[in-house]
Amino acid sequence: MQKNFVQFENVYKRYKMGEVTITAADGVSFSIDEGEFAVVVGLSGAGKTTVLNILGGIDNCDEGRIVVGGKDISRLTGKELASYRRYDIGFVFQFYNLIPNLTAKENVELATQICRDSIDAETALESVGLSERMNNFPSQLSGGEQQRVSIARALAKKPKLLLCDEPTGALDYNTGKTILKLLQNKCRDDGMTVVLITHNSAITPMANRVINMRSGKVISNAVNPSPVPIEEIEW
Amino acid sequence: MKALQKNIIKEITKTKSRFISILAIIAISTGFFSGVKASSPSMLRTGENYFESKNLMDIRLVSTVGFDDDDIRAIKNHKDTVDVMPGYFSDQIVNINDADQVVRVYSLPEKTATNSKLINETIVNEGRLPMAEDECVLESYYYNVGGYKIGDSVIFNESNGNSKTKDVLRHTEYKIVGSVSTPLYITYQRGNTNIGSGSIAFFVMIEPSEFKSERYTNVYVTTTAGKDGLSPLTDEYKDMIADQKEDYSKLSEERIKIFNNTTYKDAKNKLSDAEKEYNDKKEEAEDQITENEKKLHDGESELQSKLTDGENKLSDGQKELENGKKELESAQKEYTDGIQSAKQKLTDAEKQYSSGKEEYTNAKHTYDSEMEKAQGQLDTAQSEYDTQYSLFYGTIKPQAETKLTLLKAAIDSCNEAIEKTENSVSELGKNVTLEGEAKKSLDEFKNKLSEYKSKLADYQKQYDDGMSQLSDGEKQLTEAKEKLSSAKLEFQQKKTEASDKLNDAQIKLDNAQSQLEIGKLEYNTAMTTGAFELQAAQSKVSQSEQELLSGRQELETQKASGLNLLKGSREKLITGKNDARIQLRDAEKKLKDARNSIDQMKNASWLIYDRDDNPGYSGLEEDALRVDNIAAVFPVFFLLVAALVSLTTMSRMVEERRTEIGTLKALGYSDTAIASKYFIYAFSASLLGSIIGAVAGIATMPFIILDTYSIMYTLPPTILVIPWDALAFSAGTGILCTCMVAVITCLGELKIKPATLMRPKAPKPGKRILLEYITPLWKRMNFTSKVTARNLFRYKARFLMTVIGVAGCTALIIGGLGLKDSIGVIADRQFRQITIYDEIFALSEPGTKDDNSYIMSKFHSDKRFKEAILVDQEWVNIKYGNGKQIDLRIVVGEDPQVFKKMFILRDRLSHDPVELDNNGIVINERLSQVIGKNVGDKVEFTLNDKKYTSVITDLTENYAGNYIYLTPQFYKKLTGNEVRYNVIYTQLTEEALADEHEISNEYMKMDEIITVSLLKDQLDAITSTLDSLNVIVLVLVFCAGLLAVVVLYNLTNINIAERVREIATIKVLGFYNLETANYIYRENIILALVGALAGLPLGKVFASFVVLEIQMDMVMFPQNVEPVSYIIGFLLTIVFAMFVNFAMYFKLRKISMVESLKSIE
Repeated sequence: MQKNFVQFENVYKRYKMGEVTITAADGVSFSIDEGEFAVVVGLSGAGKTTVLNILGGIDNCDEGRIVVGGKDISRLTGKELASYRRYDIGFVFQFYNLIPNLTAKENVELATQICRDSIDAETALESVGLSERMNNFPSQLSGGEQQRVSIARALAKKPKLLLCDEPTGALDYNTGKTILKLLQNKCRDDGMTVVLITHNSAITPMANRVINMRSGKVISNAVNPSPVPIEEIEW
Repeated sequence: MKALQKNIIKEITKTKSRFISILAIIAISTGFFSGVKASSPSMLRTGENYFESKNLMDIRLVSTVGFDDDDIRAIKNHKDTVDVMPGYFSDQIVNINDADQVVRVYSLPEKTATNSKLINETIVNEGRLPMAEDECVLESYYYNVGGYKIGDSVIFNESNGNSKTKDVLRHTEYKIVGSVSTPLYITYQRGNTNIGSGSIAFFVMIEPSEFKSERYTNVYVTTTAGKDGLSPLTDEYKDMIADQKEDYSKLSEERIKIFNNTTYKDAKNKLSDAEKEYNDKKEEAEDQITENEKKLHDGESELQSKLTDGENKLSDGQKELENGKKELESAQKEYTDGIQSAKQKLTDAEKQYSSGKEEYTNAKHTYDSEMEKAQGQLDTAQSEYDTQYSLFYGTIKPQAETKLTLLKAAIDSCNEAIEKTENSVSELGKNVTLEGEAKKSLDEFKNKLSEYKSKLADYQKQYDDGMSQLSDGEKQLTEAKEKLSSAKLEFQQKKTEASDKLNDAQIKLDNAQSQLEIGKLEYNTAMTTGAFELQAAQSKVSQSEQELLSGRQELETQKASGLNLLKGSREKLITGKNDARIQLRDAEKKLKDARNSIDQMKNASWLIYDRDDNPGYSGLEEDALRVDNIAAVFPVFFLLVAALVSLTTMSRMVEERRTEIGTLKALGYSDTAIASKYFIYAFSASLLGSIIGAVAGIATMPFIILDTYSIMYTLPPTILVIPWDALAFSAGTGILCTCMVAVITCLGELKIKPATLMRPKAPKPGKRILLEYITPLWKRMNFTSKVTARNLFRYKARFLMTVIGVAGCTALIIGGLGLKDSIGVIADRQFRQITIYDEIFALSEPGTKDDNSYIMSKFHSDKRFKEAILVDQEWVNIKYGNGKQIDLRIVVGEDPQVFKKMFILRDRLSHDPVELDNNGIVINERLSQVIGKNVGDKVEFTLNDKKYTSVITDLTENYAGNYIYLTPQFYKKLTGNEVRYNVIYTQLTEEALADEHEISNEYMKMDEIITVSLLKDQLDAITSTLDSLNVIVLVLVFCAGLLAVVVLYNLTNINIAERVREIATIKVLGFYNLETANYIYRENIILALVGALAGLPLGKVFASFVVLEIQMDMVMFPQNVEPVSYIIGFLLTIVFAMFVNFAMYFKLRKISMVESLKSIE
C-alpha cells in the first residue's frame, strides 16, 4: 500500500464572481494513503467540493501541486486530464447523473466502453446487488438503486481512486446507510482508495482518515486507527 | 414589476444565442420577402418615372404615305390629343467591320408650331446635341458597346436597297457629337425593319431638316390617357389607349380619303403615261430580238449541212484505209510464213551439218589416236626384236659357241684321255700278272677312265643343251620376227580401214554443208520477196491514212470557222438582247417603283402604335411580374420554416422556465404579468428581427435584382419603393407566430398548480424503442449506435422539427435550382425540340401556294436549305374569363410532311405525336391553361376582325408563345378563304449554318422577301430575359442556405441546452472532447441526413410548384429538375449541417463539468 497515494501541496483555487474573488481552496495540503477510506468533512462552502473537483480532474487549481499515484495532475493539459479521468478516477455524484435514456447496464457500459481494462457491466452491477434490475431505465429505479448503478459505473472502470460527492445527500437515512456500507466494503474488501465528501460529520468514525475543512483550509487531517462499521453508527 | 423587467433583460442576455436565433430567422424571412417584394414595384416605378419625366409618347402614328401639315393639324385638333410632335425616321445601312448593319435614323425631338412640349425627350449622356447640319448623336448603348468616340463618323451606304441615301438625307456622313438615350427604347432591343438583315442594330438622331422628305414619316402624340399622372401600367390607362387607338383609326380613314382624291390621282395619271411608253419600247425591242434570233438560226442550219458533207467524205476515206490495212495484214502474214519455212530449212541443214561435222571430228580423232597407239605398239615390238636379235647374235650365240667349242675341246681331250687310258689299261691288262703296283695303277686308270667318261657325258650333255638353247633362241627370234611382221601387216590393214571411215565422214559433212548453203539461199530469197511485198502494202496504208487525216483536218477547219461565225452572231444576239433587257428592266423598275408608290398610295393607311409596340417596353412589366411571382412563392415557405423554428424555440424556453413560472405564480404574480415576460421576449426578438431583416432586405435585394436587369434595360437609377403591405405581412406573420406560441405555451404551463410547477419536471423517462424489439438488428448495433438510436427516438418532437426544418431548407435550395434548371431548358426545348428552324423569311406579299411557287422553287433548289415550308402566321386574339384577352398566333403549314419536321406537335409527357386533322385546331398546353379550355371544348378567336369558332382536337407541348395550329384544308373550311402564306420557315444544312447571315442577305435582295429573322437572334433575346432570373435564384439559394444554418444552429443549440448535464457527466467519465462532440453530432448528422433526404421529394414538389406559379401567359416553364440540383441541394444542406456542428464544437468544449454536480433545478 503506497503511502501518500494522494498528495495536496499548498493548493489554491480562486473564483472570480464579478468584482469579488472567492478563494475556494486556500492553501490546501493533505495526503491520503492508498487503500484508505478518507472522508472530507466540512460545512457548506468549506471548499470540499472544490478539492474533490480538483482531485477528480474536472477543475484545475491556480497554485500548488496535486500528486496522485506519483503523477502530478496539476500540470496536465485538457486532454491528459480527460485520460486521467478516464483511466484513474471513478466518480459518484450526489444526483447519480445517470443518462435517463440508457438502462442500468447501458449506463455502466457507457463508462466501460472507453476503458482499456474494465469490469464487465453485468459483473459490476452484480457486485452492487443490482443484477435483477440491470435492464431497467433510471426512472424505473429508486434513488438508492440509482446511486448503486452510479457506483457500479464508477467501479467498472477499475479506477485507482473513487471519488464520492455527497453520495447520500439525496437519499433517505436507511438507503444512505446501505450506500455507505457498499462503499466501505469496496474499500475494505477490494483495497479501493475512496475519498468521500460530506457535511455530515456523524459518519466520520467509519473512515480511516478524516480531513476537516473550513473556509478553504484543512484544519485537521486525522488518521482513525480503528474505523467503525457503518452499521454501528447512528445519526 | 421592476424586478420582472430586470428578469426579462437578464433572460435575454443570458440566452443570447436563443434570442439571436429567433431574431435571425425572422430577419431572414422578413428580409427576403420584403426585399424581393420591393424589387418589382421599384422596377416599375423607375420606369413610370422615366416615361413621365421624359414625356414619352402615348401613341405613335406612322403613315405609309407620310403626313402633311394638314394631317398634323387634324391630329392636333383631335379630342384625345394633348400634344403632337411630327418627325422623321429612315432606315439606312452602315458598313461596320465589313458587315452591313441597319441603323434607324431619327429626327431629334423638336419644338414646332404644332407642339408645346418636347415629346420623347432625349437624354444626353455624353457630348452635346447636334448643332451643325452634318452632326449626329449616337445612342449610348451602341456608343459604349461599339467603343465610339465623339468625333467619329457614321457613314451611310449609298443605298439601303430600296432607295438612294442621297434621296432621303442631305448628307451621307455625320459626325458623332454625343451619345444619347431615349425613352422610346428601354432595352437593347431595337426592333425590326424591312431592309438589310431585317433587324435594327442601333439608332442615330440628326436634325429634322436633314430629311429631304416633304412629308413627315411619323407623328408622336401624347393623349389624354396619361394626362393626370395616370400610371401607364394600370388597366385604366391601357383600356383608354385601346379606345383612343380606335379614335385615331377613324381619323386616319378621313385623312386617307382626302389624300386619295388629290395626291393619289395625280400620281396615277402620270403612271399610266409611263406605262404606255414602256410597253411601246418593249414591243420594239422584242421585234428586234426575234429577227436576230432568226438569222442566227439560219446560220446554224447552214453550218450543219456543210458539216454533214465533210463527215461523209471522211467516212469513205476511212473505208479505203480499212482495205489497205487488210492488204497489209495479208502481206505481212505471207512474209512471216516464208521466212518461217526458210528459217526451218536453214535450221535443219545447220543441224545436219553440225552433226556431220561432229561425226567426222570424232572419227578423225579415233583414227588418229588408234594409229598412234598402233604405231607405238609396232615401234616397241620392233625395238624389242632388235634388242633381242642383237643380244642373241652379238652376245649369247658367240658365248654359247665359245662355250661349245671349249666343250668340244674338252670332249675331245676326254676322248683322247679315255682312249689313252683304255689303251694303257688294255696294255696293262695285257701284262696280266702285273704286280701290285701295276695293278694299282691299273685300277687308278680304270677310275680315271670312268671319271673321264662321266665327265664326257656331262660335257656332252652341256654341249647339247647349249646347242639346243641356241637353236631355241634362234627359233624365238624368228618367231618374233614373224610376229612383228604380222603386226606390221595388221597395222597397215587397220590404217586403211580407218582412213576409209574418215573419208565417209568427210563426204557426209560435205553433203550437209551444201544443204546448208541451199537453206541459206532459200531464206534470203524469202526475206527479200516478203519485205518487198510488205513495203508495197505499207505504203498503200500510209497513203490512205494521210488522205483521211487531211480530210478530217479540212472538216475541222470548216466546223471551227462555221462555229466561230455562229458564236459571233449569237453573242451579238445576246448583247442585243441583254441591252434590250437592261433597258427594259430599268424601265420596268422605274415603272414598278412608280407602280409601287402608287400601290402604296392606293392602300394608304396609318399605322397606329402605342407604347407596347416600342421594342422592350412590355418586357419591363413582364419581367417585373415574374420577379413578383417568385416573391410570392418562396418567402411563404421561408415564413413557414421560420415560424416553425421560432415556435419550437419559444415553447422550449417556456418549458425550461417552468420552475420560475411556478415560483412567480406562488409569489402571487398574475398570469398576465408572468406571460408578459415571454411575450416581451418573443416580441422584442421578432420585432427586432423584422426591422433588421426589412432594412437589410429592402436596402439590398431590389438593387441586386434590378442590377441584373440593368444589363437589359437602359433605365435611370432605381427608385426604391417600399412594399409596406408585404412588409407588414411578413413581419406580422413572424411576430405573431413567435408571440402567440410564447403566450399559448406559457398560459398552458400556468394552468398547472404552482406546487407542481416548482417541482422539476421529471426528465423524460427512457423507453425502449421499437428497434430494440428487432433483436437481431439491435444486437448487431454497437453501443454508441444504440445510444444514438434511442436518443433520436426519445425526443420525437425535436426529431420532427429538425427533419422538417432541414427538409424545408433542402427543398428551398432545390426549388431555386430547379427553377434555374427549368429556365435553362426553355430555349433548348422550344427551338431544338419543338419549333425547329434556322431562318424565317417573310414574304413581301402574302399569297397562295401557287402564287409562291417560284420563290419556293428557289428554296427547294438551293442545296443549303434542308427544309423549307410556306407558313401562314397571323395574329389572332381570344377573349376569356372576365373580359381578358390574349394575343397569339395561328400557324398553318402548307406541306404536312415538312410541317411535321419543323413543328413538332406532341404530348409533353409521353411525347406521343399530336396529329392535325381537318376537324379542328390544336392549341398549346399553356394557352389551354390560360383560357381554361381543354380538348373537346370550343374556342372562339378573332382573326382579321372576324370571329371563328372551332373545337380543340388536341393539346401540344410548347414553351415560348401561344399558338393555334390548323391544316390549310381546315383553314379554308373555317374561314372560307384560301390560305395566304406570309412566311417561309427554313432549316439550313449543317454546313450552311455558318453562312446564315450571308444566306439571309442574299435572299433579302429578292423582291419576294421582305425580312429575315434568324433563330439565333430570337434565342439570344429569350435567353437573356430568362437568364436574369438566375440572379433571383442565386439570392434564393443564398437565403435558403442562411436559413438552413440558422435552423440547424438553433435546433442543435436546443439539443445541447437540454442535455448539458448529460454532456458534463460523460465528460467526467473521461470522454475526450471529440468523443463528446460525436456523442451529440451523431444524432445531428443523422437528423440532417434524414432531413436532407426528406427534402429531396419535397424539393421536387416545391420546384414544380414554383415553376407553375411563376409562369407567364406567354411562357410555360418546363418542370425540369436536373439530378445535379438534387445533389447540390442535398450536399449544401449537409455542408451547412457540418458547418453548424463545427461551430457547436466550441460551445460543447466550453460546457463545464462542474454542471454535472449541480442539483437539478
